[in-house]
Formats: sequence, C-alpha cells, structure tokens
Amino acid sequence: MQKLDEIKNKFQQTQKGSWIKVGMSTCGIAAGADVVMAALKDEARKNNVSVRIEQCGCAGMCFAEPLVEVFVEGVPQVTYGAVKEDTARAIIQKHVMGKEILNDYIYKMQ
Amino acid sequence: MGYEKRIFICDTDGGNIKPFEDALNANLRAEGLVEKVQIVRLADAGIYRKGVMVKVTPENIVYIDVKMDDIKKIVDSTVKMGQAAPDIAQKPPEKQLKIVLRNCGNVDPERIEDYVALDGYKALSKVLESMNPDQVIDEMKKSGLRGRGGGGYPTGLKWSFARKVQDDQKFIICNGDEGDPGAYMDRSVLEGDPHSVLEGMTIGGYAIGASKGFLYIRAEYPLAVARVEKAIEQARASGFLGKNIFGSGFDFDLEVRLGAGAFVCGEETALIASVEGKRGCPRPRPPFPAVKGLWNKPTIINNVETLANIPYIFLNGAENFAKIGTESSRGTKVFAVTGKVKHSGLVEVPMGTTLREIVFDIGGGILDDKKIKAVQTGGPSGGVIPENFLDTPVDYDNLGKLGSIMGSGGMIVMDEGDCVVDISKFYLGFCVDESCGKCAPCRIGGKQMLTILEKISQGKGELSDLDNLRKISFAMKKASLCGLGQTASNPVLSTLRYFELDYKQHVVDKRCFQGKCKDLFVFTIIQDKCKKCSLCQRNCPVDAISGSREEGFLIDQKKCTRCGRCFEACKFDAISR
Amino acid sequence: MGKANINGFAVEFQDGMTILDAARKVQIDIPTLCKHPDVLASGACGICIVKMKGNNRMLRACCTPIEEGMDIITHDPEIVETRRTVLELILSNHPNDCLQCGRNNNCELQTMASNFGIREIPFPKVVPDIPKDTSTDAIVLDPSKCIKCGRCVEMCQHVQDVWALSFLDRGIDTRISPAGDILLGDSPCVRCGQCSAHCPTGAIFEQDDTAKVWKVLQDPDKYCVVQIAPAVRVAVGEGFGLPPGTNLTGKLYTLLRRLGFKAVFDTNFSADVTIMEEGSEFVQRFVHKKGPLPLITTCCPSWVDYMEKFDPDMIEHFSSAKSPQEMLGALSKTYYAQKNDLDPAKIVNISVMPCTAKKYELKRSKSMYSSGYQDTDIVITTRELIRMIKQAGIEFTNLPEEQPDHIMGDYTGAGTIFGATGGVMEAALRTAYHLVTQKELGRVEFENVRGLKGVKETSVFIEGTEIKIAVAHGLGNVEYVINKIRQGKKEGKMPYHFVEVMACPGGCIGGGGQPYGITDAVRTQRTQGLYSDDEKSTLRCSHHNPYVKKLYDEFLGHPLSHKAHELLHTRYVPRPEYKK
Repeated sequence: MQKLDEIKNKFQQTQKGSWIKVGMSTCGIAAGADVVMAALKDEARKNNVSVRIEQCGCAGMCFAEPLVEVFVEGVPQVTYGAVKEDTARAIIQKHVMGKEILNDYIYKMQ
Repeated sequence: MGYEKRIFICDTDGGNIKPFEDALNANLRAEGLVEKVQIVRLADAGIYRKGVMVKVTPENIVYIDVKMDDIKKIVDSTVKMGQAAPDIAQKPPEKQLKIVLRNCGNVDPERIEDYVALDGYKALSKVLESMNPDQVIDEMKKSGLRGRGGGGYPTGLKWSFARKVQDDQKFIICNGDEGDPGAYMDRSVLEGDPHSVLEGMTIGGYAIGASKGFLYIRAEYPLAVARVEKAIEQARASGFLGKNIFGSGFDFDLEVRLGAGAFVCGEETALIASVEGKRGCPRPRPPFPAVKGLWNKPTIINNVETLANIPYIFLNGAENFAKIGTESSRGTKVFAVTGKVKHSGLVEVPMGTTLREIVFDIGGGILDDKKIKAVQTGGPSGGVIPENFLDTPVDYDNLGKLGSIMGSGGMIVMDEGDCVVDISKFYLGFCVDESCGKCAPCRIGGKQMLTILEKISQGKGELSDLDNLRKISFAMKKASLCGLGQTASNPVLSTLRYFELDYKQHVVDKRCFQGKCKDLFVFTIIQDKCKKCSLCQRNCPVDAISGSREEGFLIDQKKCTRCGRCFEACKFDAISR
Repeated sequence: MGKANINGFAVEFQDGMTILDAARKVQIDIPTLCKHPDVLASGACGICIVKMKGNNRMLRACCTPIEEGMDIITHDPEIVETRRTVLELILSNHPNDCLQCGRNNNCELQTMASNFGIREIPFPKVVPDIPKDTSTDAIVLDPSKCIKCGRCVEMCQHVQDVWALSFLDRGIDTRISPAGDILLGDSPCVRCGQCSAHCPTGAIFEQDDTAKVWKVLQDPDKYCVVQIAPAVRVAVGEGFGLPPGTNLTGKLYTLLRRLGFKAVFDTNFSADVTIMEEGSEFVQRFVHKKGPLPLITTCCPSWVDYMEKFDPDMIEHFSSAKSPQEMLGALSKTYYAQKNDLDPAKIVNISVMPCTAKKYELKRSKSMYSSGYQDTDIVITTRELIRMIKQAGIEFTNLPEEQPDHIMGDYTGAGTIFGATGGVMEAALRTAYHLVTQKELGRVEFENVRGLKGVKETSVFIEGTEIKIAVAHGLGNVEYVINKIRQGKKEGKMPYHFVEVMACPGGCIGGGGQPYGITDAVRTQRTQGLYSDDEKSTLRCSHHNPYVKKLYDEFLGHPLSHKAHELLHTRYVPRPEYKK
C-alpha cells in the first residue's frame, strides 16, 4: 500500500497544468487519431505552448473518433470528436491558447 | 477574452440549433453579457430525443426540452444569478455506469503510473495483505459476478472448484479470443486499461493457488498484444508481478499467447488445446478445466471483461457491487452497439437496463430515423429480439427466455430494411466457417442449414425446408459437442420464431421485400411517380438504366445487379422493389 | 463404486466408468460411431447422447463419467429422433456407395443405418470430392468416406505414436490426411494398418491384392506357393461366425489347396527357423560378447520401419534375422525349388498375413531379393483371404483338415506363439536355453512375458545367469524401452539383454489386417487360441523341429552359416521420417 502511495504521489507531481488526451485505441487510430496526435504536437511545438499531450484508450464513443479531450485551466473540460488535422490545430490555437471553446465539435462535456 | 461563463447548446433531436442560438445571443446582448459568456454549439450531447439541451458552466446545470420561452428564464436565473431556473426540466441521470470501462479513455494504457494514480493495484495489495484465498473466493461469491464471456457462470464458484483441487501447479488464463462479429469490448479494455486485467488475474491466481497465468489474445489484435506486453513488463518492474508480490510471499507471473483467429478457440477446452500447441478443437467435458485443464493442471479461464471487474469489486466491496444490476445478474455489462444505430460504440450499463434505453437513449436511435426491426444480441450464438420486446430488462435470464443470449455483449441493431434470411445466412455462415469440424452435428448440420437458407434466398425454398431447419437445429442444439454447435442455430431459430412471415414470403411468394436476397426482387421505375430527374440513371454503376429526361427511364433487368443505388437515390419513391 | 439408475434398472458401477460402460452392464446398447475401447472417447459422432432426469441437456454417454445417483434415460422418442437426425446428417455427407465399398456388409455406419431403418435422407448431398491416396502398397485412404470419428488419428498418434495421420482443415472441409497434406507414402506412416482395423467405414482400407492372387492362380505358367502366418489361423473363423481364437489350421491347409495352391507351407515353420537364427545370434552376443546387447527382435516390419525412421541409433541392437515371411519366401525359391527341381522364376510366393505392413516389407530392401528373385511376391491379409474364400464358394468351416506340405509346413509350439505379444521372446528363450546349456527345459512356459500389459519387464535365469528382458507391443509403448536402453548406454549399465517389440497392440493377433471388431477381449481370445495350439503340440521348441533340422543338414549347414546369412538375414539403414 505504501509503495502504491509513493508511485501515486510522485506521479501526481508531474501531472499539473493543462493537458490533452487523444483516444489511441484501434477504433481511434483507424479513424485518424495518429494524424491528429501528430498535428496537436506539431502545432503546440510551433506555438511554443506548454500542454501535456497524451494518449488514452477508447472511451466507448467509437462513432465520434478521433476523440480529443482537453483540459485548460479556467475552461470547462470537454471532449472533441470527429477531429481532423485542421480541427486539431484549431484546438491548440483557439482552445488552449485562446481559451475559447470550438463550436460544433464537442461530443462530451465533463 | 476571458469568458466567465459558457453556455453549451445542442438540439438532441438533431434539428437546427441556429435560431435558438440567435435568440440566446439576443438575450445575452440585451443583458450586456455577450463579452462574458461564450455560447458553444455541441456536436452531440450524449443524450437523445430530449429537445434542446442547454448547459451552463461553471454551475454545471443542464436543462432539457428547453423552449424558446425558457431562454430568458435561463439567462436570468442561471447565467446572471447562478441558480437553477424553476419549471425547466433538468437532465435525467446518466444511464451508463462505467465499472469495466472506468479507466478506458482516462489513463494512458502504456503508463502504469496513470493506473496506480486511479487506485490501480490497490485491490491487489488489499487482497494480499489482508485476505486469505478462501476469503477472496467468498468475496467473489458475494459479489454475484458471472462470467462475461458468454456462459454466465458464477466466477466465484468457478474459482472455488480450482481452489479445492490439490496440485503442484495451477493456471489462470485470460480469454482474450474475442471473436463475435461486432463485439470488441475486450479489445478496448486490453488496449485502454490493460492493468485492470492483469490485476484481476493476479487476484484470481492468488485465490486458486496459481503461480502462472496466460493471456490468450487473438493475433488480429496487435495493439492490444503490444500494450498488454508492455503492461506486464511495467507491472513486473514495479513488483506487482513476479516473486513475493507486495512482500506477501505470493509469486505470480504472466505470459501472452497469441490465438490464430479461430472462433472456436474462445471455447475453454479448445483454447487450452491451442495454448498447448495442438489443433484448436474442443474436448468433452467433464473433466472440466478447473480440474484438468492446461497440461492437465487445474486451470481457470476468465474473460477479459470479467477480470476487469475484479479490482473494482475488491476496492468497493462485494456488497456494493452486488447492489448494481438485477437479482440474477449483478453489476454492469458492456455492449458493443453497432449496426443501424446512430451512435455506435461501447456502452456500459447496469444489468437490467432495457434494450430500448440502450438503443434509443444511449445509442441515439436508428440511422436515418428508420423503423427498428430487431436487435441481435450475443453474436452468432445469439438470437434476434424483435421491436415488441425492446422494453425487456437485459440480463442473462431474460435474454435466454427470449431465445437469445447475453453472449459477450455484441448488440447489432437491425432496421426495417434488414432481411432475416440474409441475417441468418450471415451468422450461420460464420459458424459454418468457424466450426472446428470435430463433431458431426455441428460440422454437417451447420452446412446443411446454410445450404437450405441459400436455397430459400434463391427462391428455391419449400415449406418443408422450414421444418428441416427446425429439425437440424434441434439435433445441433442437443448433440453438438461444444457451445459453438449448440448455439449456432440460434439466429435461425429466433428469426423463425419472430419473423416466420418473412421466411414464408421468401418461400411461398418468392419475394424479399427488404431487397437483400437478390434473386427475389427487381427494381422497377413507377412511371406515374417518376419526375424524370435522371438521378437514378446517374447513380447506376452498371449502366442498366436507359432513357432520357424527355422520354423517362427504364431499368434493364438483365444488366441490373440489384445494388440498390437507384432505389436509395430516388427522391420521389418512384422505384419499387 | 457407486449406484445409479439406467432406464429404471439399478446399476452398480466402478470408478472411472462412463454411462456407456455402465449401460452395457444392464444389457443396454447405446449406439455410437466414434467410441472404440482402444481409444479415448472424443465425443465426435454425437450419436450416443442420453438424458439425465431433471436436466434438459443431452449428455454423451461415451465420455460422461457415471456418478452416484444418476438417473439416466438412454432411449426415448426425443433421443432416438435426435440420433436419427444426426445419422441422417452423417449419411448426407457420405457417398453411400455401399454396394461398391470394401466394407459392404461389414460397416458400422451401414449397420447403424440399417438398425435405424433409414429409408431416405431428407437433406441434400454434400459429399467431399477428395481423391484416394494409394501412395503406399499397404493402406488406401479414401477420405470421402470418412465420418471424422477420429479413431484412426487417435490410434496413429497416441496408441502407435507415429503421428502420420492428422485432421486437416476445419468445419465441413475437415479431413484425415498426413500432416502438411502430403501423401501417406511420404509421411512417417509405418503401415501398421491399425487405422484401417479401427475405421468404422471404408475410409481406410488395406490395399486389396486379391485380384493379383486370382490372376497368378489361374496362370498355368506360375507355380503358386502359399504360407499362412500364426495369427491368421485363430482369426479367420471370425469371418464365418466362429468365435475369436478358433484354430482353423487344418482347414486352412485344405482350403488353400482347393483354391489352387501347389504347395501349402506354414509361416510357423519359418518362425522356428527364425528362432534358430535369432537365438543363435543372441547366444553369440550374450555368451560370446560378439555384438552389442540388448538384442532386439525384428519380425515386425512396422517396428523395423519405425526404428529406421525414429530410432536409428538402435540399429546395432537389431537382430539381422529376417522375418519368418521373408525367410520362407527366400527358402521357397531356393531350397524348395532345388529339392523339387522347380524353376524359381515360375514360383509365386503368396503369404496370408494378419498385417498390412507385410505388403510393404516385400520390397523394403535389397535383401528381400536374396533368392535372385523377389523372395515373397504377394501378401494378402486375413480380411482379404476371407473375401477370397467367400468368392470361391467354398464352405470353409465344413472342410476336412489336411496336412501342410511337410518340407516347410510342420511347426513346433514355439513357432505358433509368434503371433502373440511375448511369443517370439518365449520361443527364443526355449531355444536359447538349449543353445547355451545344451540341455532341455523341463517346463517351457514363460508366463511373465505373456499378456496384454504394454511393457513386460522380467528376468529369466539360465544356469544362474540372469537374462533381463523386455517385451513391448503397441508402438506407443516402445519409447519407454528405447529410452531406458539409451540411458543404460550412457551409464554403461544395460537394463536389458533381450527385447521383443511388436507394433500392434497384442502382437500379430491384433494386426492391422485382421478381421474387424478388435478389442482386448478379442485379443485375449485369439491369443488363447495360439497358446492352446502350443500346448497341444508334441514339439514345443524350435530346435526340435525335424524339418528345421533337415533344412540345416541338407541346405543351410548351421545357424548363422554363410548361406544362412545370404538368405535369411538383412541390414537396416536410417530413413527420413518424411520423404522430400
């Protein structure tokens, strides 16, 4: 139990600030999640944005893949669906940098 | 910049939200709030057929069935005052309950820390530090968890059999040979949350006294295999697998074995033969694997979804788990809802949720708003459940009574355009392909039934064929060696039970009104209705439609391949089938 | 031990019994097409289903252990109807060309169809079109007639440990074939024919050579000579309704003459010769330390083939003596031809054997041509002889009894027990005792080497010297013995001095060419027939056979002489398991 707490505490230190999760299971990848992932990372790097971009499994909403979940301080946590490369770049620019949520792409709210 | 509030809006009936958005904007402008509040249009709200939905954050108040008149109330009460507006319905409680999928989509499956941060491996540490194997099995029995792979056998009871057998070596196997057409929840769990399966297996290993486990995963799931292998490595490196786990003295390790894609290898004894490197054929039981399994050692085989439940049970207590679901079926079930449903995907609901809730409230209803015909559950071993039984609460027993099964949780939605003969042919064809060929009833019976169905779909059927289908079905059910053969005729039997009329239309009238059996319908243009728009001609891929916009159009039946594109394209219902 | 109820009859059962076993105790016959007492139940055919009161499922009687208090129903309308449907399904997948089939009147599927009164098959025919495999001289595979009961595969893989046959493909395309879909002749098959002896239908069959025999019998230029193997005489009667073990030696001699054979010999005679050669070889190795021990017997062609393929490191242990069939063949075209002034080129040696591998042995190496011609020309199995007798219109069982042609026809009790497991060993010991001590045994029986136990290990003492022996039958039992020899070689301590191996369970009496319906009970009865023949014999040791003495005096000189080596011995070479 103690060991688990150590891992947990240490890990939580690293998990602060904004983050983006991309559903990277077979259903997501088949729908283009890998392209979205690359675009998100590329756009973040180009704009020098500090945001953790991570992968996760399938959230069950396979009809709306690729799914991108975004958490930015001060903005409600939302999940964008059917994300394409341009949407991905818009997520970085508008949602992460501009704190303005994109219209017409949200499939799930926290 | 810097919105204080956000209003999320969505028409859950799929209509145009723009007028509503404009009205809302006007209200905000009147209040001088335009700069402070962002209006966000959702693509999908996750709830359906509930009119306009409005959610206001940060209050997180969600309204449904919102009318134009309500806009002002929402702005006044919620946006301005932060309070719920009276008289407007709020969102009903969530129908889904995620236990198996609790971490899927949350954790990075390739990083064990994510799992640990969400109390991963805490159940294992609790079990190893404070419970003896008998207590673990008692807890499992108390939870009422039944195997999610298809049979629905109580997991705790199964474990207790292997626990009782004395042997120097025992095994636990995770059955990841998911093969039902349309079912992929096991893949999602292995890909999205592999550690929960490893943790469940380790707890199971401790309970029965196994020091070794195998994950039998089909080779068609390369990503699942890679993630599971990585998870095993990480668990080993963290000391959650291997020698002396959590200092308890318990040793346990895991290995992945690939299945070559034979459906029958999901059957326990065939799976064991396959892991041993033999031809994947079932053998007679008894002896059951719990007594004589892998290499003749006591072996427990649990399905992926079953195992993923286990850490939850030990973290939250068996009693709490048992409160979920129905009397005979505890907990939740993951369904892979596919077919003619608007929102296909994985759904996890408490046992006892009705099919209608799953298909309409969670799945959003039928594609193109057509009429629902039936829901097929349980994959090729299951049956169809027609529209009038959609309000049946789903659990092991109810589905059985309807002539279907829970199976692994595949749920294929069929609309009025689906032909039952065609569907039966598909499922039976699958089982005929996948039969191992060992026992005569399944090997020959399946083939003969398929031959009869093909005859029927070609218009060569006779009424005696329906009797023969029933006769062979009965023999296959009673005399097949394993579950594959015993249940392979279920799709045929259940469609015969609920849609005998459709069969008779094929056999007696030689017509397939659903337009699926190509020999049993023709497309013709109803000249009275035809507006000579030429859309049909332009959509025909084989130039079977002759004529012009002046003279009208005709379909050349010799050239027509019955693909149905003209039928779909016609905007005036001027093509008959 | 426990008590249960079957169709209302109380039945007491022993642990490990199945429902099928228990039902037989109360005279209830549950039909099955796949279960055979020699193999593990596989549950393949789905015919033996029964019900348990209070349970909606049907159980397979062949593989479900009977348990205390069970209340079983074996026959009710629903069960019988289900069985009938399954049988109809099987028949819809079967060529049903019974009239042209070798198993006509002797087929388990045909019998069951007859018992069920099948008059029509309501389903369309789906019969696989798979060509016959005639790549061996011994066994023909006709997979289109196969009902996939799995007996042959079980026999080949688990009883015989040869692994030549397996199931290929799946579903309706499932078929029996050598692994890798190669020809049987290119596979590790050792031609033991146990597959054919256990096949319920005509899917695996001995290569039928009766037409060849009829042809040479009618050819005035040919001089047809016949020999009958020990095991044939106690099994051939089964084809005529006599119980297994009925000894028909005298009638067989009469019969063969009536069929047109010019000379009727007995393989039992050459078995006595084999003992002289092999016994002398043993004495050479055991007493005079010329050659490695243990000495391993080589009368069985399947075992020879198996050893050359799987255990070639044992070659040096093999007796170089040929099998009795080949010895008689060679002597017929030399010794007998000379004595009677016959042209060996015109002699056709035909042998009646319990064995399919004997067909393969005819041409297995150069030594099989030691007379200057092919020593033995045609082999027919017991089953083929039965068919010939019926074709010839001879009332076999009413025939008078005659004598063989004495020159190579008379035999001792030692020769006749060759047909049972342990027999070669026992016969050899009787003579070896004499060869070592120059004395005669008071009591000639060695009971420890008899019986159906898979491996029999024992010791005998000759003048205080211990001879450690092992007798194995059923090729699946060989590995144990061979590994012990290998281990002994490594440690410099030999576990045995003399080893007998027969490929077929029970020895030649259980051979792959014997009448259908083999079980341990039948094996025991046939074996008993041979041992009574031995007991009744006035001469019971090979070296007492006056015609054998004469053979050595007039022709060969002495055992292991140069001439004996030329005609009666052979060599072995390692062979690949799979032909490329």
